[in-house]
Amino acid sequence: MTDVLEALINVGVLASAIRIATPLLLAALGEMVTERAGVLNLGIEGTITVSAFGSFVVADKADSLWLGVLSGVGAGILLSLLMAVLVSSIKVEQVVAGLALNLFGIGMAFYLFRAFYPQTGGEMPRSDTFDFAEIPLLSEIPAVGEIVFGQHWLTYAAIGTCPVLWWALNRTQFGLELRSVGNNPAACDMRGVNVTRMQYLALAFGGFMAGLAGAFLSVFLSGLFFVDVAAGRGWIALAIVIFGNWRIGRILAGALFFGYLDAYQLSLQARGVEVPHQLLLALPFALTIAALVVNRRRSQEPLHLGVPYFRGER
Amino acid sequence: MSTDTSTTPGASSGSLLRRGGWRLERRLEVKPWHEVVTLVGAFIVGLALCSILIAAADKSVIDSYRALFDGALGSRRAIYETLVQATPLVFTGLAAAFAFRARVWNIGGEGQFFAGAMGAFFVSDLWSAHLPRGVMVPVLFIAAAATGALWASIAGVLKARYDTNEIITTVMLNFIILLILSYLLGDLWRSPDTFYFQTVTVPESAHLPLMIDGSRLHWGFGIAVAMAVVVNVVLRRTALGYEVRGVGINRTAGSYKGISVPRVTVLVMAISGALAGLAGAAEFAGVHHRLQLDISNNFGFVGIIIALIGRLHPAGVVVSAIAFGALVNGAVTMQIQTGIPAALVDVIQGLSLIFVLTGAVAVRYRLQRTRTDD
Repeated sequence: MTDVLEALINVGVLASAIRIATPLLLAALGEMVTERAGVLNLGIEGTITVSAFGSFVVADKADSLWLGVLSGVGAGILLSLLMAVLVSSIKVEQVVAGLALNLFGIGMAFYLFRAFYPQTGGEMPRSDTFDFAEIPLLSEIPAVGEIVFGQHWLTYAAIGTCPVLWWALNRTQFGLELRSVGNNPAACDMRGVNVTRMQYLALAFGGFMAGLAGAFLSVFLSGLFFVDVAAGRGWIALAIVIFGNWRIGRILAGALFFGYLDAYQLSLQARGVEVPHQLLLALPFALTIAALVVNRRRSQEPLHLGVPYFRGER
Repeated sequence: MSTDTSTTPGASSGSLLRRGGWRLERRLEVKPWHEVVTLVGAFIVGLALCSILIAAADKSVIDSYRALFDGALGSRRAIYETLVQATPLVFTGLAAAFAFRARVWNIGGEGQFFAGAMGAFFVSDLWSAHLPRGVMVPVLFIAAAATGALWASIAGVLKARYDTNEIITTVMLNFIILLILSYLLGDLWRSPDTFYFQTVTVPESAHLPLMIDGSRLHWGFGIAVAMAVVVNVVLRRTALGYEVRGVGINRTAGSYKGISVPRVTVLVMAISGALAGLAGAAEFAGVHHRLQLDISNNFGFVGIIIALIGRLHPAGVVVSAIAFGALVNGAVTMQIQTGIPAALVDVIQGLSLIFVLTGAVAVRYRLQRTRTDD
């Protein structure tokens, strides 16, 4: 019992909670922006997988972590632009396009992985990984230093993105236009805002962020690629967006909370405590459904989310 | 005149592209052969693009596709195995098609598959020692349909009552049921004689009989095809089918005609879940005879794709499920014979779907030479 309680505030658990939250936060912020422009991208899981592969293979073969991150991000953007072509230009049903993207992306990543690294039965290929970017002085602070200031640079970047993104969405003309596209594309069109272009940009940003999330999984955390590398994180990111009611502050809180639950159950498992850890893992999903019901009256869900925009149709 | 068309509402959607004296305009009528050509075209383009991948891996394209074909349809044995692979996909494809007809976006086929398999296992574990096969098998199928329907109804009721987005709730429910199953497999349902997360193998009386002796082809396939017929009849000949199609075409108009949209939503979700649950029962009782976490090869999600490629029509679902079953089955042979990773099939499926979707839109347009007064 003391184990169960001690793990709640254990320094290692809190530090790994932030680590686990990083890819969730990155992907969720990207998805939020995409959804604000009216596009529901269910293909994040596939995008993360493709990017994780892109980062891994380049980091390994070109022996450069930075090139790895770059190519992972590039792959994420490319896949998202494919989504943009499908949903914004051709106006295919968004749900279906997203699912097609998952199937295609995960299949493609795994196919190429096997083509580059034929199955040998030996050890899994492993790339280098980034070292933790400990911040001088600040990381010396007991407990807090280890939890907050001993993380990867991408974690700091992800958290730093939050206020910048908030400012861009809420205090700039561009952000206003982007949000309007998700709420009333017809009005935007009439005011001369190019709806298709906005959605392309939003999806590209979503792909960029999911790409960073994928890179984080392969060249920051493990140095490995496997077919289930995303392990549902794309879907959890989707849940976080809803849980956070499309607001940046709450998305940050949601990502940290979901990351914390995961870190907590992992540490309980590692300590051999007999608890139904699966039920802890199921909590985020149940809470997301609850949030949908509770928030329904003050939902920030874009009004035109998931509805293709045809000029001249109502 | 032509400068007007791009700003006139309605006409503009027909002019996606207008260059060099050609323009796209909306077809007034899409004939069935247009759609068939699109489907076949999409598949061929998918295969063609994948040959680039094969060639890039320094393998012979012709040998690879021949191995794929041999493994899928090259022998009697291969065909039976293809049908085994197709069986769960027919069920999940029907589940998705039925829901999508009413424009209820049930993405939870995967979770409902597991809910069904769990229901089937629960009753088999309880009663298979006491009941003969003739009773046990129908009972486990009914149980699976009930649990699948129940699990889907959560999303259906939430949608009807609180207007929650069913895409999101069904996706969340997928994860929840898998975690519940994982918990049960590690605890209550874990087979005592293994380290793995799996249940005991249930007695013979809870096994589906084989359709063809000496193969793996079980009666689940027969039931699946029968369900396709049933779904077709329900959609075409019953009041419910009329309501489903009515709600799908226009919710508002449907409600003016006296259709209770919330009631239809819940019902559609439940029936769709029941169909996906049957897939779980068929895989459990026909193939695995026990539960483990990997009894589904993405069946729920692939079912959605199959429904769309089958144009949301039961017959189309059966055909495309068999085609997908053939691909999955053939890929195994291809991997063994040529070393091409079986994941190529996912790429083919994904690409084909992307082109089918694109084609479905493209088929509504035709290229027309613009008039000389342009």
